Formats: sequence, C-alpha cells, structure tokens
Amino acid sequence: MKSLFKSKPKTPVDLVRQTRELLVYADLNSPDTREIKREEKMIELSKLLRELKSILYGNSETEPVSEACAQLTQEFFRENTLRLLIVCLPKLNLEARKDATQVVANLQRQQVHSRLIACDYLEKNLDLMDILVLGYENTDMALHYGAMLRECIRHQSVASKVSPSVSEKVLINLPKVTRPLYVLAGMYSFRKTEKETTPVLLLGNSDLGLNGEWMIWRLELIGVPLPLLPFRESDLMLDVFCFQFTLAADGGLCWKAAGYVLESEHVKKFFDYIQLPNFDIAADAAATFKELMTRHKSTVAEFLTKNYDWFFAEFNTKLLESTNYITRRQAIKLLGDMLLDRSNSGVMTRYVSSRDNLRILMNLLRESSKSIQIEAFHVFKLFAANQHKPPDIVSILLANRSKLLRLFADFKTDKEDEQFEADKALVVKEIAALETQDQP
Amino acid sequence: MAQPGQEPKRTNYPLDPHSYRILDEIGRGVSAIVYKAICDPMDSALVAIKAIDFNKSRTDFDTVRREAKTMSLLSHPNILRAHCSFMAESRLWVVMPFMSGGSLQSIMGGLYPNGLSEQCIAAVLKEVLHALCYLHGQGHLHRDIKAGNILIEVSPQSAVLLGIMNDVAFSTVFLTDSNGSVKLADFGVSASIYESNSGHGSSARRPMLTDLAGTPYWMAPEVIHSHNGYSVKADIWSFGITALELAHGRPPLSHLPPSKSLLMKMTKRFRFSDYEKTKSSSSKKFSKAFRDMVGLCLDQDPSKRPCAEKLLKHSFFKNCKGTDFLVKNVLQGLSSVEQRFRGSKLQRLASMNRSTDDDDEGDDEGFSFMKQRRISGWNFNEDGFELDPVFPTNKDEDPDIVKQVRFGGETVIQNRGGDSEASDSSSPGKVIDAQLGDQMKVCSKTGDNDGGGEAEMGGGSVGRADVVGSLLFLKKSLDDQRQSVRNMIVFLGGGESVDVNREEQLVQVIENLKGELEREKKRRFELEMELEFLKLQLSSPSE
Repeated sequence: MKSLFKSKPKTPVDLVRQTRELLVYADLNSPDTREIKREEKMIELSKLLRELKSILYGNSETEPVSEACAQLTQEFFRENTLRLLIVCLPKLNLEARKDATQVVANLQRQQVHSRLIACDYLEKNLDLMDILVLGYENTDMALHYGAMLRECIRHQSVASKVSPSVSEKVLINLPKVTRPLYVLAGMYSFRKTEKETTPVLLLGNSDLGLNGEWMIWRLELIGVPLPLLPFRESDLMLDVFCFQFTLAADGGLCWKAAGYVLESEHVKKFFDYIQLPNFDIAADAAATFKELMTRHKSTVAEFLTKNYDWFFAEFNTKLLESTNYITRRQAIKLLGDMLLDRSNSGVMTRYVSSRDNLRILMNLLRESSKSIQIEAFHVFKLFAANQHKPPDIVSILLANRSKLLRLFADFKTDKEDEQFEADKALVVKEIAALETQDQP
Repeated sequence: MAQPGQEPKRTNYPLDPHSYRILDEIGRGVSAIVYKAICDPMDSALVAIKAIDFNKSRTDFDTVRREAKTMSLLSHPNILRAHCSFMAESRLWVVMPFMSGGSLQSIMGGLYPNGLSEQCIAAVLKEVLHALCYLHGQGHLHRDIKAGNILIEVSPQSAVLLGIMNDVAFSTVFLTDSNGSVKLADFGVSASIYESNSGHGSSARRPMLTDLAGTPYWMAPEVIHSHNGYSVKADIWSFGITALELAHGRPPLSHLPPSKSLLMKMTKRFRFSDYEKTKSSSSKKFSKAFRDMVGLCLDQDPSKRPCAEKLLKHSFFKNCKGTDFLVKNVLQGLSSVEQRFRGSKLQRLASMNRSTDDDDEGDDEGFSFMKQRRISGWNFNEDGFELDPVFPTNKDEDPDIVKQVRFGGETVIQNRGGDSEASDSSSPGKVIDAQLGDQMKVCSKTGDNDGGGEAEMGGGSVGRADVVGSLLFLKKSLDDQRQSVRNMIVFLGGGESVDVNREEQLVQVIENLKGELEREKKRRFELEMELEFLKLQLSSPSE
C-alpha cells in the first residue's frame, strides 16, 4: 500500500532531524518501551543512516550533490548529533555502525561556506576524542571508533583556525623513482574532482599505499622544484626532491583534535593497544598512532620535545624491545619516520646522543628479519653520521667497529637501491674514520 | 537465508597458535601458506588458516591491515569471513572457516576440465552476485573475482559421503545447514573505494580507484588502462570472465600469456564473439540467456555494464537451482581439498615438459610464458601494434629471460612502463605486490623465488621424475581413499576405531623431516658462504 502514496522525498535536513530524534530515543533506552517497538525504531535508524550515507557518497545511480551535502552537514553539526551517534554506536547493528562510521568520516571533510564545520564542532567537543580512543578496548567497537578517530585527528581545514599569516615551509621527501609517479597520480585524480584551479598536490608518504591514507595537502606551489638537494644534517642521506611550499593563504591545519589526544593521558594507552592480540585491532591502533605521531608536524615536534623522557623510554622498552615481531617492525619504521622528519630535528639530535638508544638500535640491526634490519639501519645511520658524537657513542661504535663493518659488508636490500648503498658507504666511512680520530 | 549484518558479535576463536592443530597444507602463495587445521578449544572445528609471512619482502603491511579490517567488518552469507587474526611470530594467521568443497577452479580442474553445466553455473553465479551486491553496496570492490576465489562449503555429512573429507573428528555435532553454500573469498587485493578517496573537497565525489590489481585474464579493460580510474563495474567484467571460465573450464585468452591477454583487451580486439568463434570446436552450446548475460558484463564501456543488482534480475538467473543442487551434481567423485592441492603441484611439474600449453591455471603464468614466447613469437605485430611492449628486445634470446619468466607479473608491468601513455598512475612495485598478494588460491603456485628456481632445475629430467611423481601421487590418493572408507565405516557405526591414523602420522613425520633436512642444507650453504666471505675479508686487510 505504501507505494501508492509515495511520500515526497525527505530533505537532508529532515533526515538528520529524524536521525537525531531516534538517537535520542536510543540513548535514553527507557526500559518501559516494548522490545518490538524499540527494534522497529532501531531498524528505522539504520535506514536513515544508510540514506545519509548515500547523500554524502552518492549511490550506483547518482553522484553526490554538494548542496545537499552542505545542508546535511550544517544540520548535523547544528546540534549534538555527532555526540549522540558516537555514544549510541554500540547499540547499532554491524551494518549501521559501518554506515555511521562512513558518514562521520565524510562529514569531517565537508565544507560549508568554505569552512570545515566539523572542525569547529570538534574543538568545542574535544572530550569525544576520549570515547573514540578508549574504543580500542572494546573488541566490537574498536575498528569503528578507530576509523572515526583517525579521520578526526587527520583532517585539515581550508578555512582554518591557524592564522593565515602562518607560512609554513613543508619539505617533502620523495625518495626514488616511484614517488613522482604517486604525486602525478594524486594530482591527476584530484584535479578531476576539484573544480577549483588552485594547484593541489597529493603526497603519498613513502610507506603508505596508493589506496588509502593519503597525506593530502592543499598547498600552493610557490617555488620551482629544487631537485636533489642533499641535506647534511638531519635528513642527511635521503635522496630528496625538495619542493618548497607554503600553505595556501587561507589554509592551515586543524590540529586541535590531534593535539588534544597527544596531550591527554590516552596517548600512553597506544603503547598497549598496538600490542593487542587481535591483529585487526592492533594494526588499526598502530595506524592511528602513526597518524598522531607524523601528521601534524609542529604539534608533534612540540609534543616530543616536551615529553621526550617518558615517551622514548616507553617507546624503547615497550615497542622497540617488544617480544612481538610486528610491534618491533612497526615501531622501528615509525621511529625512522619521526626522526628523519625535519621538524623533529631537535628530538633527533637528542635521540642519537644516547648510548641506550644506540644499544637498542644495534640489537635491532642484528635481527634475523631483513625488514627490521633495514629500518634499523635508517635510524642507526643517524648515530653514525652525527658530527657531534658524544664520547660514549664513539666508544661503543669503536668497540663494535669490526662487527659493524662486517655486517654492512654483507648488507643489501632486496631490490637494488642506490640511495641505500650510498647511505651505507657513508656510514661505513664514518665508522672506519673513527679510529684515526681516536689515535691522533 | 541469513540477513547481512545480523551478526555483529565476534566469534571467540582463540588468539594463540597453540590452540590450533595443523593437519595439512591446502594452498600456497608467494608469502602465504594456507593450512587446514583443527581448533581444539572450539569443539574441534575445522578451519583454514592463511599464514602470511611478514618477513617476505613483498608483504605490504598496510595492504594486509586493510584486508584484515575488510574481512572482519563484512558479514554476508556469501562472503568468507575470518574468525579472527593474530600474529604468530613473524606470521599473521588469519583463521577462517574451512570450506571443504574447495574452490570452483580446483573442482573444475579435477572433474570438469571443460566447464560446468549451465544450471550449475547459474546456481553459483547467483550466489556470487548476492555477495557482489553486498560488497558494492558497502563501497568495496573485490577486484579479483574468478573461479579460484569462489569457494564451496559442504556440510560434513555430505563431505563424508562424497569422500572428500577424511580426517574429521566425527563425534562433533555439526549444526550447519549451509550445504553447498557458495562463498566469495580472498580479499588480498580488494579495496574500499570509500577509503581510497579520502580526498577532501566540497563534497566527496564518486570515488575511483587508480591502481592496478587482480589477475590479468580476469581484468577489465579499464583496469588495465587504469589511469582512467575504475569502479565497481570492473568487478562486473571479471564476473563475466568468470562465467566464461566456468563454462569452459578456463578463462578466455588463457592460451595466451597474461601480458598478451592484457594487450588484447587494451586494444579492444577481444570480443565475446571472438571467443565463441575460437571455441566453437568444443561442441558446447549455450543458451541465449547465458550468452546475453555474459555479453552485458563484457561491454567495453563500464558504464554500460549492468550493476550486480540488475544482473540478479536477468532471465539467466530465473528458476535457478538452489545450492544443494551443486552438492548433488557437481561434487560427486571429488577428491579432498588437500589432495587437489598436491595434485596441482604435480600437474604443474608435468606440464613443464609438455610442448602444448594445456595447463589451465592462470597461476602458471611463469612457465607458460616462456613457452609462448618461443612458440608463438610476435604474431601480434601483424595486428598493427606499434609498441612491442612485452619484450622490447625480444629478437635475441636475452640472458635475463629467466628472470622475466620467473616474474610473469613483473613483465606485464614492464610493458606498461613502456607504454607511451605515461600518465600511468600505478607504480610498478605496487602492482606486483597486488598480484603477489593474491595468496589464497586453493590451487596455488609455488612461484616464489625458491620455487621458481627449483622448478627450473627440475625441468631437465622431468620425464622420469614426472612419472614417479604421478605414481607417488596416485599412491597417496589411494591411501587417502582407504582412509576415507575407514572413516565412513566408523561414521556409520562400524567397528574398530583404532589408531588408523598411524600411517598417516608417519608420513607426516617423514615430510617434516624432509623439510628440516632441506632447511639444514640451506643453512649449511649459507654458513659456507659466510666462511668464504670471512676468509676473503681476512686476506684482504693482511696484504
């Protein structure tokens, strides 16, 4: 019968309102309501979430309409729908949870009058981040909350809180052949979807896949690329194509959410989440941790400088010296990413002056796993290349000189890698030269 | 049939390797091995464990992470879902339900080398379409649809009667009504189109993927031209190719090496009708509905291909049989999954020596590749190709041919690299990863570096080794048959349930010891090398 009276299509605003009403209902969970009625309402809620998703993403027949998306976004953040949705997520079924997660992820990127209002909302509701982080402790919710969390901490705003005068130079490492291709690919596909003519560049971090977590920067290209500018100090051995960018005049990063998580006690929990037995959850936590530690450069640098002692103590003992293979492997990779980032050069200098750190790195160099060895080398080279090595570092290197040289003589990547060979040669040279220094 | 999404609770399979008893190997890829195992704490449930080795350089952590996430968030009766996944040393164990029927590709390989009947095909494909509707509705692409990734579940009772299971603890009460259920597996290369395009913008546009993945024969033209971006319709193409595969026992163009198959599609020379022509000798007649359905899927223009939901309404799927029909009509006389796996290994060895390229496994790309190169040369140039992308210097028998042979996939990529359309958005490394990540075929390849080398060496004396191999296989198969008869007797209440497994255990022990010996040999060799090296080191500074 229903089909006879085709109700006129609901507007995005209506849909959000109804969703909110049902969420309020689900949240209250009043015991006197009958089970059947409750179930009906939950089914209705699931349907609404699916409709919201199809407005935001389009479906097999239609492309998303930006006007509808904007209306939806505005209504969504006008009141506390996001909070309700996050709180009620455990009460939804699997499909509805997935829809909700995708809706939330999409909303983080919706602009209304060239503002990311999700960003504004989050800044006033930073405690939501607590719920999302603690989600890792619930096996059923971890992947949903984890995905939302990553979207919240990664997103950047175009109309941003950061003052427009901030002109940040961003150096991007694009080692070796594949990288320019990635960038081209990113540019290509992005241009297709973006009407604006502002030069836009998508950068894939070297270890990120093409599919997923792109680091996306909306940057204005100001300079001509300066190819192959080798860095002597912090980035020393990377074959870098150095581009100079500044953030677009109206641009900036919405770093508050990430900053909040970093500053909260929760950041410590990640050391444990990464090692949870369920692989999918542990891996998701690791991806989030990496995002936290690498995404918002200046926030991260500030955090690491302030929290150096406890952070690296935990990092070393819990992660680098973990008994869990995959934890060690991910941790050493992340450490390399962090230390080799220019914005962390101060932290790097401190790290490579500690003999405890060197000991740990040398142990990792001895691992049977090639991948760990290679990643460990990328950190170890910083110790060796440091031009102001403390005496105890020098003495350790000297004591192990022959062992190290022997190791490096046999040390190869699977694929030919000129840069790696060059790095290796430099490290070998440094270590070999130590002796002459020692015997003046 | 169960509704999707009604199962938000995780099953509580144990997260440590000691709770599982490995019974046999049932599949092998470059960096993964699939085992059949029993999980004791879960009432001795049978499981398949895919063990992915992170130490193999090609295993990309992020890809695996996404795969694991995808698998644990999907819930549909026609999609193989993981019970759980956890790390065991440097290997990731993905624990899945054991599908005793194995893959359709392995079923065809054993019993229906020339394809299945239309009724069976319709029954199978309908289930696959259900899975695709769900996947696509979720914004996921499967990207590697083929018979090798379509698995059949057979209830243990039927399995015993069919003789394809012989080592189950029959005391277990099985509460499954999923006899003959069809499940789509292997998300090794599947990607989420929602996740891929995390680009910002005033609104999120229809996402398009731009990297290359999948297995060449099944790949849609726009996937090959992947800088154009592609969408769920690429899966529909593969679905159409899979239909042909089921009808003929092998995918179209599989008599060509994979790179040529790619090339054919790229240049649009491949038409369904062409395929029909070349195959007309094989006396098989297909209904109008079937041909029409496949034709729709294989439209060069992705936008003209129907979506999965629409396909479900196609007349070909009307009056389609249920899946128990499959069990009764398809699986009779089938050997067990592990036997088929062993058989496929031997077949591959044997096929190396044959001059005609009859092996029907897409996974044998490496070997068929070399032969093709020598036999059929470059007829393709006649068709007006400017580019000679596969072997740019192919006039000479260049010395690196062995390398190219070994990495069939890589060569395919090289050809793309040489393609004048350089806006190619895929990076070579990525593609190889994707192809090699394709690990869960039940009938599989041993195409990793070691395997390749071994097989080549074996090539010289295949004649005798071949025969001996086949005989050994036969013997093993007879043993297995005996075992299954015994099991049946036990199952039907017949007497002595004594330690019948002893012989098998001994065989297992011997195999383990053999493996150990190999490893020892390898280690010795390495140590010797190291010694040599040290000697060299010693002698050089002393001058």
